[in-house]
Amino acid sequence: MSTASTASETRTVRPEEPGKARATIGAIVLVILVVAGGYLSNADWGKLPDIFTEGGRYFSLMLKGLVQNPFSEPYSEYWSAALGGMLESISMAWIGTMIGAVLSIPMGFLAARNVSHPVVVQVTRVILNAIRTLPELVFAIILLLPIFGFGPNAGALALGVGAVGTLGKLTAEALEGIDPGPVEAARASGAPGSAILRWTYWSQVLPEVLAFWLYRFEINIRASAILGIIGAGGIGSVLSQAFRYREWDFIGILLFVIIVVTVLVDAVSGAVRHRIIAGSGVSDAKVEQDAATL
Amino acid sequence: MTVAASPAAPARPRKPRPSRVLIAGLVAVAAITAWAAWEVDFTLGPLLENFSNGWVVVEQFLHPNWSYLGNAWTAWLETISIAIVASFFGVAVGLVFAYMASRVTNRSTPLYRAVKWFLAVLRSLPDVAYVLIFVALVGVGSLAGILALFIFNIGIAAKLTAETIDAVDPGPLEAADASGAGTFSRARWAVQPQILPNFLSYALYIFELNIRSSVVIGYAGGGGIGQLIQVQFARFNFENVSAIVISMFVVVLLIDQLSQYLRRRLV
Repeated sequence: MSTASTASETRTVRPEEPGKARATIGAIVLVILVVAGGYLSNADWGKLPDIFTEGGRYFSLMLKGLVQNPFSEPYSEYWSAALGGMLESISMAWIGTMIGAVLSIPMGFLAARNVSHPVVVQVTRVILNAIRTLPELVFAIILLLPIFGFGPNAGALALGVGAVGTLGKLTAEALEGIDPGPVEAARASGAPGSAILRWTYWSQVLPEVLAFWLYRFEINIRASAILGIIGAGGIGSVLSQAFRYREWDFIGILLFVIIVVTVLVDAVSGAVRHRIIAGSGVSDAKVEQDAATL
Repeated sequence: MTVAASPAAPARPRKPRPSRVLIAGLVAVAAITAWAAWEVDFTLGPLLENFSNGWVVVEQFLHPNWSYLGNAWTAWLETISIAIVASFFGVAVGLVFAYMASRVTNRSTPLYRAVKWFLAVLRSLPDVAYVLIFVALVGVGSLAGILALFIFNIGIAAKLTAETIDAVDPGPLEAADASGAGTFSRARWAVQPQILPNFLSYALYIFELNIRSSVVIGYAGGGGIGQLIQVQFARFNFENVSAIVISMFVVVLLIDQLSQYLRRRLV
């Protein structure tokens, strides 16, 4: 550095470094927030070392469950309960996605500025935003448990209601991003409104929308586990039961099944998504980015 | 029809048959749906039969107990604190993993594979599983919630940031390489300035996510507003639950607005 500046006297002066005041203030505010957060969260920080003392022991107990012969008692029951719960979770996620998908089509059209009347668009968007604000768990608690009782059916419906919010919004955004050419062509040839919607709007967004549905399915699998803790069935219910009785070998098996099945479903669903999107004119990266807000 | 009337017009091309892949796909989807519906005992019947049960609850919900919000705000403070601490440390550690999970900044293939694999495992578990694990380790309370969200955030932050790192402009990287920069200074001076706005925006997004998942966290024993909802729900105090849910609406919207404003200034 110093050699460069002294060697060539004729060089232009090095520009001044931009000020760091804003970054510094930001950093200070952030540190204050984090420290205050650590204090106001009422967290019992003294228990932090327990993770290391207890963690290792529990982890080895979990691994112990995994390496046992899966065909001996009680491990055969553990494995079948885990796989059965996972299947139920996947079913809940699938039905939830289907409900969300079917309901989100009309909602998406109603919320698209280039399709519907501005007033309708605003009303629909408010509804979709309201749904997106609340987690599925709240729907399940408020609307579904009193009517449908505890069980996977209530869970699937809650996932469906939750999915409408995000899928409807993404469908509307996809519709707003279409190429207006085909719409004009169809209108010029005198196509009725329904045909315009079906053959120009819907055809253009279909690959993208299908990809969003698959993405939502992947998310619903994780969300179905969450619903399990209030008794909506699936692997979540089995998991919270196992935690209640501290059956660490069972917990190990359950976590293993969740991880493996989720990674597998993500891989399959991801491959199908890439295949659907390939050649549709929409970039893979854009879909991923949009879907990240699901 | 009209084609037949004017013979001069060229014959309309035959409609292409639907492809086999499409048919097979639709059949598969129908089969999976039927099987899944059977598995979850899908029915909408209770909607008609038990509607009166539900209506009692809905009615209580329509009369929220506003005075209860006085108790709720300390729980909200707790939830927001949990989210701040968990997202701060989560994204900080996530950034380190992001550098290791991108080919651009990590030139060691075995390490890259291992980190990718580790992150996939980390992301495959839902947040509730982490809460349950940490409740078992450190007991019920905010600490379990913070730790669970911390681990959960590492996975998301690392994935999103690693994808941004993959897409950086290679110019500065070449310049850094040409001047003989090592792995660390390369990441610090050629990559970090490029990804910083996106990274900060992801951090805010993760903070929003953490606020949203507060119900789940509290329900599983991780403290904050979710715990309050769980207690009130278990006692069937739906008026109180309703007030909390409405306050959640407001808080989530406010935080979304704030974070959107900050993000717009960043990116």
